[in-house]
Amino acid sequence: MAGTGHAQLRGDEVLLRVRDLVVQFPAGRRRVVHAVSEVTFDVTEGETLGIVGESGCGKSTVARAIIRLVDITAGEVQFHGQDLADLEGEDLRRVRPSLQMIFQDPISSLNPRRRVRDVIGEGLAVWGDDIGSWSRDRIDELMEAVGVEARYGDRRPHEFSGGQCQRIGIARALALDPKVLICDEPVSALDVSIQAQILNLIQDMKRRYGLTVLFISHDLSVVKNVSDRIVVMYLGKVCEIGSTEELYSSPAHPYTRALLASIPEPAPTVDVSEGDIGDELPSATSPPSGCRFHTRCPRATDVCREVEPATEQVGDADHFVACHHPVAVELNAR
Amino acid sequence: MAPDQTTAAPVPLLSVRDLHVRFPTERGTVNAVNGVSFDLYEGKTLAIVGESGSGKSVTAKTLMNLLPRSALVSGEVTYAGQDVRALAATGTKHFFGVQMTMVFQDPMTSLNPVKRVGEQIAETLRYHLGRSRGEALEEAENLLEAVGMPEPARRVSQYPHELSGGLRQRVVIAMALACQPRLLIADEPTTAVDVTVQKHLLDLLDELRRDRGMAMILITHDLGVAHGRADDVAVMYAGRIVETADARTLFVDMRHPYTEALLRSIPRIDDPVHHRLDPIPGRPPELISPPDACAFAPRCLYAQADCLDGVPELSGLVGLHRFACLHPTGTERGEAAATANRAAGVTVAGLPVTGDPGGAG
Repeated sequence: MAGTGHAQLRGDEVLLRVRDLVVQFPAGRRRVVHAVSEVTFDVTEGETLGIVGESGCGKSTVARAIIRLVDITAGEVQFHGQDLADLEGEDLRRVRPSLQMIFQDPISSLNPRRRVRDVIGEGLAVWGDDIGSWSRDRIDELMEAVGVEARYGDRRPHEFSGGQCQRIGIARALALDPKVLICDEPVSALDVSIQAQILNLIQDMKRRYGLTVLFISHDLSVVKNVSDRIVVMYLGKVCEIGSTEELYSSPAHPYTRALLASIPEPAPTVDVSEGDIGDELPSATSPPSGCRFHTRCPRATDVCREVEPATEQVGDADHFVACHHPVAVELNAR
Repeated sequence: MAPDQTTAAPVPLLSVRDLHVRFPTERGTVNAVNGVSFDLYEGKTLAIVGESGSGKSVTAKTLMNLLPRSALVSGEVTYAGQDVRALAATGTKHFFGVQMTMVFQDPMTSLNPVKRVGEQIAETLRYHLGRSRGEALEEAENLLEAVGMPEPARRVSQYPHELSGGLRQRVVIAMALACQPRLLIADEPTTAVDVTVQKHLLDLLDELRRDRGMAMILITHDLGVAHGRADDVAVMYAGRIVETADARTLFVDMRHPYTEALLRSIPRIDDPVHHRLDPIPGRPPELISPPDACAFAPRCLYAQADCLDGVPELSGLVGLHRFACLHPTGTERGEAAATANRAAGVTVAGLPVTGDPGGAG
C-alpha cells in the first residue's frame, strides 16, 4: 500500500487537503509506531468523504491529526488554503471552531458532571463574543434540531441513553457553526436499531447546516450509505480512493476486495474467496517494505516487496489505486 | 424427561422451557429473561439475535451457570436428558466447560494475561480430564493447530498480549474445544475483531461444528452474522423470543414487525449510496416493571389496541416458525393494522406514522 504520490488530488473547490501526512508515535527504545505514512487526499466543500480500514490502519489518527488532537510529524493539512500543521497558540484556537468532531463512545465523550445544556453551550460561552449574538435560544434550537427535547437541558449525560448522548455530542459539535464535521466511528457503539437514527441525523444536519463531512468507520455498509467518496487505508497508507459507487462496484485494490469479501453478506461484485488474507496484521513499528500489504496479498510479487506503489488513476476520473497489480476495473460495471 | 413427548421427533440435545431470569436491583427487579423456550439438535446452529438488553447474553450465561448468585432463575433446561439446573445445584465440576462450553466476546478478558497460552489450554485438560502436564501441553499444541493457529509450536509459549485479537480469539476457541464439548455457546465471538478476521473466525466455528458434530448457539447483535451461519434464528426483544424460524424463513418471510424493522434499519452493502434508512423509532424498552403489553408496541407501526392488553404469546409449536404478534407483518391482519395506523397518522401507542414505509410486505 503505497499511497505515495498525489495523483488523487484535485484542483478546484477543495476545502480540506491532506498532503503527505505523517504521524508517528514513540514506542519506547527508540522505536516509532508509523501510524500514518504519507497520506494524501482532499475533500471538496459539501462532500462526505468516508475513510475505511481495519483497526490500526490509521484512519482515526488521520482524523485526529486534522484537528490537531495529535501532533503532526510531517506533511500538510490545508484548510481553506491555510496549513494547519504549523499553527500554534491563538491562530490554532481561532481555526478550531470550523473543524468539529464527534466520537465513538457518546457517553464518555460528555462530561458526566455537567448539564447537557452547558456541554452543548460551552463553545458558545467561550466564543460568544467572537461569533456575534448567541443565546439560550441557540442551544434550544440545536437540541431540537438533533432530536433531544430542550426541556431536558438541565439533565446530566447519564440520564440519557447512548443514542441520545450521541445526539447531544452532535449538537455540541454543531454549536460553533463548523465547516467540517469529523465523525469517528459515530455509530459503532450504538445498538443496531439506533444506528439508523444517528446516520439519518448526520445526513440531515449536513444538509441543514451545509457541512462537509469526514466519516470514519470500519463498517463498509455504513460508510457506503453516507459517503460520496471513500478512502481505503491499510497500515497507515492509502490503498484506494474512489467515488463510492465505483469503489463498491469495481474495487481495484486486492485489499479493498478482501474487505468487501469479508462482510457477512458480501458485495456481489467480489469473489468471497478473496476474503482470505490471513488475520495477522503486520507490526506498525516495523511495517513491511515496499507495498505494506504484500505480506497478506494474494497477488504479491517481488516488485511489491521492494517498491512502494504510487497512486495511479484507474477506471473513471475519480478512482485511484496504489497497487502494482490492481484488479482490472470493468468500465461497464454499474 | 422431555416435556414434548407427543412429538416422535428425535430428542433435542438442549431443551429450554419457560426460562425466566430476574435480577433484584436498587431500582427494582430487572426482568432480563421472560419465558424463553427453544430446542437445539445435535450438529445444528441456533443464532440468538437481539440488541443490548434483549436478554440474549443472560440466556447464555444461565445455560452455562454463570449468573451471579443474586439472580432469580426459573424454568427447565435439559441437556441430553439431564436437568442442567439440578446438576448445577449439586456443584458438579466436570459438566460446564466440558459437555457445554462458551466463547466470550472479548478474548483479552477471557485469557489470563500472565500465563502462557499453552498452559492455559493445558490447565483445562489437566483439571477436567486428568491429563499429565506433558500430555496436556502436547494436546494444547494440537488444539491450536486445529483452530488454524499459524506456528502452533511457537505460540504455546507466548503470552496473550503477544497475539493479535484474532489469534487470541482462536486460543479461546481452542480452550473451549479442549474437552470435546457437544455444545458450544459463542457469545458475540467476533464483535471485538475486524471484518477480515471475523470472517475467518466464523468460518472456523462453522468448520469445527461440522467436523465434530457439535451443536452451537451463536449469540449476536448482527443480523448479517446470523444470516448464512445458522440453521435456526431466534430474535429476542425485552427478554422474550419474539420470532423464531429456520434462517431462510426468518430473513425472507418474517412475521414480527420488530424483525422486519431491524432488517430495514441496517445499512446494507447492496443498497444505493445515500439510501435513506428506516430507523426504528423510539428506544429500547424498560426492563424494570414492564407494562403488561407487547414490549415492542410503543415503537411498532402496526400497533393496535389489543397489543397494549397483555403480552402476546409465541404462536405454534416449538420447532416451527413462531412469532409473538397479533398483527403480523405480511398477513392480512398486519396490513389492515398498518393501513389503519397510516390513515390515522398515529398508532394506538402514540407513535406518529408518516408517509409510506411500514406496510408493503
